[in-house]
Amino acid sequence: MILEVEKINLVYRIPLQRRTNFRDVFTSLVQDPMDTLFPNADYLHVAKDLSFTISEGERIGLLGVNGVGKTSLCRCIAGLFLPKSGKIKRYGPVRGVFNTALGIQPELTGRENAELLAHFIYPGTKDIDKIIDEAIEFSELGQFAEAPVKLYSNGMQTRLCLSVISARPTGLLILDEVFDGADMFFREKVSHRVLRLMKSSGGVLFVSHGMEQIKRVCTRVLVLHRGQIIFDGEPQEGIHFFENFDRGVKGTEGLFQFDGHQRI
Amino acid sequence: MQTSKIFLTQVRVLTIANLKSRYRKTVAGFLWVVLNPLLMYGVQSQIFKKFLKLGVPNYYLFLASGLLPWIFIVQTLEMGTPTILHNGHLLKSYPTSPLVYLTSQIADNFINFIAAFLIVLVPVAYMEKVTIPGLLLLPIPLFFLILGVLGMVWFLATLQVFFRDTNFILRFALSILYFMTPIFYPVSYIPENLRWIAGINPIYILIAPFRICIYSFEIHQFTSALVPAVVVGILSPIFAYLYWQRKKNDIYFNL
Repeated sequence: MILEVEKINLVYRIPLQRRTNFRDVFTSLVQDPMDTLFPNADYLHVAKDLSFTISEGERIGLLGVNGVGKTSLCRCIAGLFLPKSGKIKRYGPVRGVFNTALGIQPELTGRENAELLAHFIYPGTKDIDKIIDEAIEFSELGQFAEAPVKLYSNGMQTRLCLSVISARPTGLLILDEVFDGADMFFREKVSHRVLRLMKSSGGVLFVSHGMEQIKRVCTRVLVLHRGQIIFDGEPQEGIHFFENFDRGVKGTEGLFQFDGHQRI
Repeated sequence: MQTSKIFLTQVRVLTIANLKSRYRKTVAGFLWVVLNPLLMYGVQSQIFKKFLKLGVPNYYLFLASGLLPWIFIVQTLEMGTPTILHNGHLLKSYPTSPLVYLTSQIADNFINFIAAFLIVLVPVAYMEKVTIPGLLLLPIPLFFLILGVLGMVWFLATLQVFFRDTNFILRFALSILYFMTPIFYPVSYIPENLRWIAGINPIYILIAPFRICIYSFEIHQFTSALVPAVVVGILSPIFAYLYWQRKKNDIYFNL
């Protein structure tokens, strides 16, 4: 077992009207004092008593319509958020990758950014220098590795970032739409490397809208809807279920619905 | 142990990156940072001593021992308050502690402070009398000063996520607070019935034992000034931590 998610509830508040400065507060206080003092808020219930496990060697594709909370759930598993209730047991290191077009310091060179990134992604690793050298070589940035990242296109930043994050395996690897932004040629090259990384990592939680990738990479699929897992099974069957479900949902109800509307 | 080592490595790498990034394109580079406290000190020492003729013995030393930590605190608070908000994309992407970014900001300013401290204080201390026991004990108030500032900047940086006016209010409040804090004048200049204002000013509480070490070291005076500084230095990060824990999820959703 690599991960055990036990009856977690993850809720976040969506302010219906964000007031973040004095002027807005003052204006709304004059217009509607009750609503300003006791504002309405909606809650998105990303996970409702959600439970599942990931075993050694499993590569799970997480599917769900936009805004259903896949990224929030992944961030919760990666330890960025705390669930409102329930337990997340991690039996080993967890690495989440949520953004691949990230120039941390635009003034610094690609190599310097790679170093910074490597220290964030592989904290405590002894061969950081080796990771950086390998990543620079793999990214094929050539002399651009010594140029400031502010001169990079989004695709170049993605190349650099993907090269660093795909350098070493881990216990549980969470990949959230990682291939977006890379150009076609690099995507093919990096997907081989990421596939190798996935196979050598203990387990994988993979979020993607690319059904082909899910089919090729995953051994199991989960479909998330309204905070619950409505499908758990074989990738082929899961994709078929999701595609039909997605059409059904779009046809009968709005995609984006909050769960609770209450005065707080 | 391993966690602290990782934390310190990340802070070191980020601080070096910030310093490189900031000074790479400038001609004077690092000089700009020490220039501000040096100019402030130069102008204020002349005006308060020669124009206003403040009757404070060893005034150059007196001013340096209060003004330099004040500038360090103010710069750290002003630069650190937007830190969590500015690094939101990183915090949402990698499981790093926000304390890495905040501590790195403090380290960045602390390097500037040490540079200004050495440039100003060494010649002034050479000209005017500084006691050796005071200098030897200096790391103690300095430690609690840094701890106190860490708590303050952590709390303000969290608040800034929800309330974007925080940094503007802070700048305004600090400019007023400068005149209300006994930095360029001694606390004895404040009428006795109003001295409680300095007594509840956390910035002054943190600076007071530091100043005593450099300017007028006397052990009883030092210990009685150190006790409140220790209290502020410990309570400030605890309070910030509790507030952070309470707001942790909301912070990520508001970044």
